[in-house]
Amino acid sequence: MFPVVKAQLKKDIRSPWLVILLTLGSILFTYIFTYVNNNEQTQTTIPIFSSDFNSSEVEEKWEPLLNANQDYVFVITDESEAHADVEEGNSEAAIRLSESDYQIIAASNTQAVQLVEDYVHTVFTQEAQLEAASGSEDIEATRKQIGGYLEDAPLQMQTESIEDGEVPEYNMQLQLLFGFTLFLAMFTIGFKVNGVTSDKISGVWDRMILSPVSKTAMYAGHLFYSFFIGFIQICIVLVIFNYVMDYNLGHNFGMLLTVSAVFTLSMVSLAMLFTGFIKTPEQFNMIFPSIIPIVPVISGVYMPPGLISNPVLLFIADLFPLVHAMEALMDIALFDAGWNEVTLPLVLMLLIGVICMGVGVNLVERRTK
Amino acid sequence: MIETVKLSKTFKGKKAVDEIDLYIDEGESIGLLGPNGAGKSTTISMISSLLKPTAGDVKLNGKSTIKNPAEIRRILGVVPQEIALYEELSAYENLKFFGEIYNVKKTILEQRIQEILEMVGLKKPQKELVKTFSGGMKRRVNIAAALLHDPKILILDEPTVGIDPQSRNHILETVRKLNEENGTTVLYTSHYMEEVEQLCKRVYIMDHGKVVASGSKEELLSILSTEDMIQVTLSEMSDTVVEKVKSIKNIRRVDATDKSLRIISKKGSSILSDLIHAVESEGILLTNFQMETPSLEDVFLHITGRTLRD
Repeated sequence: MFPVVKAQLKKDIRSPWLVILLTLGSILFTYIFTYVNNNEQTQTTIPIFSSDFNSSEVEEKWEPLLNANQDYVFVITDESEAHADVEEGNSEAAIRLSESDYQIIAASNTQAVQLVEDYVHTVFTQEAQLEAASGSEDIEATRKQIGGYLEDAPLQMQTESIEDGEVPEYNMQLQLLFGFTLFLAMFTIGFKVNGVTSDKISGVWDRMILSPVSKTAMYAGHLFYSFFIGFIQICIVLVIFNYVMDYNLGHNFGMLLTVSAVFTLSMVSLAMLFTGFIKTPEQFNMIFPSIIPIVPVISGVYMPPGLISNPVLLFIADLFPLVHAMEALMDIALFDAGWNEVTLPLVLMLLIGVICMGVGVNLVERRTK
Repeated sequence: MIETVKLSKTFKGKKAVDEIDLYIDEGESIGLLGPNGAGKSTTISMISSLLKPTAGDVKLNGKSTIKNPAEIRRILGVVPQEIALYEELSAYENLKFFGEIYNVKKTILEQRIQEILEMVGLKKPQKELVKTFSGGMKRRVNIAAALLHDPKILILDEPTVGIDPQSRNHILETVRKLNEENGTTVLYTSHYMEEVEQLCKRVYIMDHGKVVASGSKEELLSILSTEDMIQVTLSEMSDTVVEKVKSIKNIRRVDATDKSLRIISKKGSSILSDLIHAVESEGILLTNFQMETPSLEDVFLHITGRTLRD
């Protein structure tokens, strides 16, 4: 087995560009996309305007009330400009304000528009309730009175995590970091496992069969090397983000590496399954990179959790190790999950690994015969 | 030493090798000759235990190698038709890799690599990557990789395909030395008749998956001992003249190429006057007439009705 590993390593030392590019790609993509993602989150701007005769009065009334929430920035805009923003897609929606009512202007009824409407509706309802409660009295005085009362309300709700700590805020940056790292490692692993097919086509495999090296050792050499390179790539990216770029990856880095190792193992098996279906390394290089980019999309790696609800897509995603690895990594990094919490994803990844390896090797051997 | 008994291989209902019987004695140099698709590569794949036969057996010193191929693999060196090397590694690194997988002891591996590189004439460029080598140099490394464990039997599957004459001569010389000086048993497959004539004491001729003739070079040539080979050059060629020549008594076969006729006639029959008459009656001049010694190529043509490169 070791001569096989050594030969593969020597080949990559001679030409290390694939591994270097994919490792750098993981770092670069994560950095770029998390940066863009952060900026997008703080700049959801919604134009507001009023067409009433006392428009400036109405706009001045609602603008501070709407801007109480940090997720949106409501900006007083000219009516025609607001329409143009929506038409050109610069804003998801615009809001026409009235004294005690509003109108949403949107190009289509998207989920983002729904969220804006929910929020605006809540603000207007609260204000209406406040007006009703204040009656003939000064509404600002009532607002202050209620605010003071709520600071020490008789019924209070407190949110705590399972471990009695603060509930951590979901970190999309972290999800993208793990997502890109694992996604690009999938390519590295696949291309390395493809070495089995290359050896078969070149005739090196037959030479090895005639040598005293056992077939198990031949497979083990290739698969161990693929695992080794894929895992090292993931480790390098995680170490750089954790220790150099100071990302908060939680308190259990060792567990993150363990999950990554199990993921790498199951990915090696999945790549072996692909190898079982193809005949030449060129076919693999065409088919594998065509299918793999779909996996993070259906696994919801690029989106906040819960956005994919189609049961068929969820089922397909469950067949790949990525979704389980992401679940375990996020649980460990965000919620300080222990071994008990990540056992299920780990077992599922191992199960995928065992099945894919069994079927893959069988198919490869059957074709040889 | 090695014997095949009614060795057959069928791929999807098509017989690639059909009940082949051949034997190779220790120290012999055997040629397996045949055109592309004759079944040579399939036969040697079965002999070297890479492919399981559909029927028949391969025996090493009387013992079947099909169920237990370890013994034959231990003493076998196979040079495949394709360049079975890591092209991203140097010649030296490739040989080291193959030496390691053959468990050649570290203490002797280095010396062995240098000896073999010397033998195939690649000692100087040994640190260069195989992908930068010419076709001939790659083929020489391909042979070298099969010699590291000092095999008793060397099987070479068309090792000179598509290479320059210098590399070809080097390879033939290497194989000859291995057989004559080291006593290595050689099974050499090729569709180049002259290589087999030069290297091998005995020849098996294959066509359509079957052995159509076998024996020593002399034995095979004796197939044509009752016939004369005549090469005739004409001032011009026509279909009528070919037909007229074919109709001459005692002429058994006529093959026309450009302005030449290759004629096989009954030994000792005097066809010259009839031939001149037939040619001149068509207004064509006979510019050259030559009696030839038959070659294995002629034997093959005689047996199969086609040339080796068909």
